[in-house]
Amino acid sequence: MTSMITPSTSVRPTPGQASLVTEVALLTQRRARELLREPQWIVSGLATPILYLVLFAPLLKDIPSPLFGGLSVVQMFVPGMLVLFAFGSGQGIGWTVIHELDTGVIERFRVSPVRRVSLLLGSVIRDGLFFIACALVVCLVAVPFGFVIHPLGLILTLLLLALLTGCVSAMSAALGLTLKNIGALAASVMGMQLPLTLLAGALLPISMGPTWLQVLAHLDPFYYAVSAARDLSSGVILSGTVGLGFLVVIALFLLVLAWASRVYRHAVA
Amino acid sequence: MNATATHVPIIEVRGLRKTFTTRKRGAKGENGRTAVEAVAGIDLDVPQGEVFAFLGPNGAGKTTTLRILTTLLPATGGTARVAGFDVTSQQREVRARIGYVGQQGGTDLDHATGRENLHLAARLYGLSKGDAAARAADLLECFDLAALADRETSTYSGGQRRRLDVALGMVGHPAVLFLDEPTTGLDPQNRMNLWEQVRRLKADGATIFLTTHYLDEADALADDVAVMDHGQIIARGTPQELKDRMGVSTLDEVFLTLTGRALRDTDSEGVLS
Repeated sequence: MTSMITPSTSVRPTPGQASLVTEVALLTQRRARELLREPQWIVSGLATPILYLVLFAPLLKDIPSPLFGGLSVVQMFVPGMLVLFAFGSGQGIGWTVIHELDTGVIERFRVSPVRRVSLLLGSVIRDGLFFIACALVVCLVAVPFGFVIHPLGLILTLLLLALLTGCVSAMSAALGLTLKNIGALAASVMGMQLPLTLLAGALLPISMGPTWLQVLAHLDPFYYAVSAARDLSSGVILSGTVGLGFLVVIALFLLVLAWASRVYRHAVA
Repeated sequence: MNATATHVPIIEVRGLRKTFTTRKRGAKGENGRTAVEAVAGIDLDVPQGEVFAFLGPNGAGKTTTLRILTTLLPATGGTARVAGFDVTSQQREVRARIGYVGQQGGTDLDHATGRENLHLAARLYGLSKGDAAARAADLLECFDLAALADRETSTYSGGQRRRLDVALGMVGHPAVLFLDEPTTGLDPQNRMNLWEQVRRLKADGATIFLTTHYLDEADALADDVAVMDHGQIIARGTPQELKDRMGVSTLDEVFLTLTGRALRDTDSEGVLS
């Protein structure tokens, strides 16, 4: 009698699968929970930009403001530092992914019907939201140091840079999945961080430097993000720099996300 | 074998092959590349609703076969169908119908409780919040984990963690549950609990495909056994059939008669020939 039943339907009714939106929401919540239960990461994450603000920015106070395009030191410095922080907020996920390869969590998800892209997006969204929340705190802390908040500009800055965090997060996760090795991951991520952020003029405007450096900077997508963030934070919304910044960052985000989801689909753990 | 002929096979494997290319440092010729045939063209039918044990020495190709059947690894050649679907071209359909517990486990150890692990897994199968909570509670109860349900899994003992690993493999009511050495390193109480759950799942109509090095386990649990060595299936039958065929009284003796007494982990190229 069992021979009359087809195997695909006999044991249970066709199993379900959560919708894409539900999947992403559930996996983002899971990542958020990991972070909230390890608050030392939040504290150490926040410490970096605040230390820069307190211990580094004062060194710049005697540099004549025309070099900063007429901006005050703090107004120039905070957006650049937020770009550094945006990178830092996304880079850590690769370590988690390698840990999950070792404990078999990734393998379990890969054998389940969960969409690969949901696993990736859960991390990317968590990191982006984490960046926005912490960056808001940093900006408030910067106010007594003379930072002027232009609300619309600030909102757009945080959105722009959250996309940057998303790029780094997707890249770190995909690298963790392919490299499977903490040393190799650290070398790649750290190896990218310094050249990308220095060349972007995150600490000091590249316009202060020699021509060759300025030419080189234009090859760095982070450069456009820093320039746009400086405009936005000083209240300039409708500028070519801002438009270009969004264009470059959105394009980069889509590219990295497409590559990372490919890696997630094909990676053999 | 004829006892199984009336059943539709829920796992159907034909000519399955997997070749790994490895690079040996300092080796000459062919850029030092050697091809290792981990699975050398196997045919295998597993009838629906039985406990099937896959035996073989380390490096025999058991885990590789299991990973192909669970869509984790692409085959080099041949075909495999699980629960009526092709593991290469219909991965999503296969994944929706199987559970898998690998040697590493699968429990999320990063600040998640046992209940949260199960709840998330159930929600990802499309269950509502209420149904997922009920499913999680049910599995926690079955696996004797209710008392630890709301503790973070990083505090669990090895046996507790293993029970949760297997519970996670069962969340989606799989038609086939794959277990890769599920009881390795467990104490007798934990092994008994797992055996009980495997039997319960079988009574529910599911098929269980497990690899094990404990031949008493295969003897106690399995309806059907296959012994694999050097990438090939070298014996197949019920535990009793195999023992009778070789005129021995335990599966251990069957195993050693078939695969010899030489250690297998000393030369990884043992699978080459």
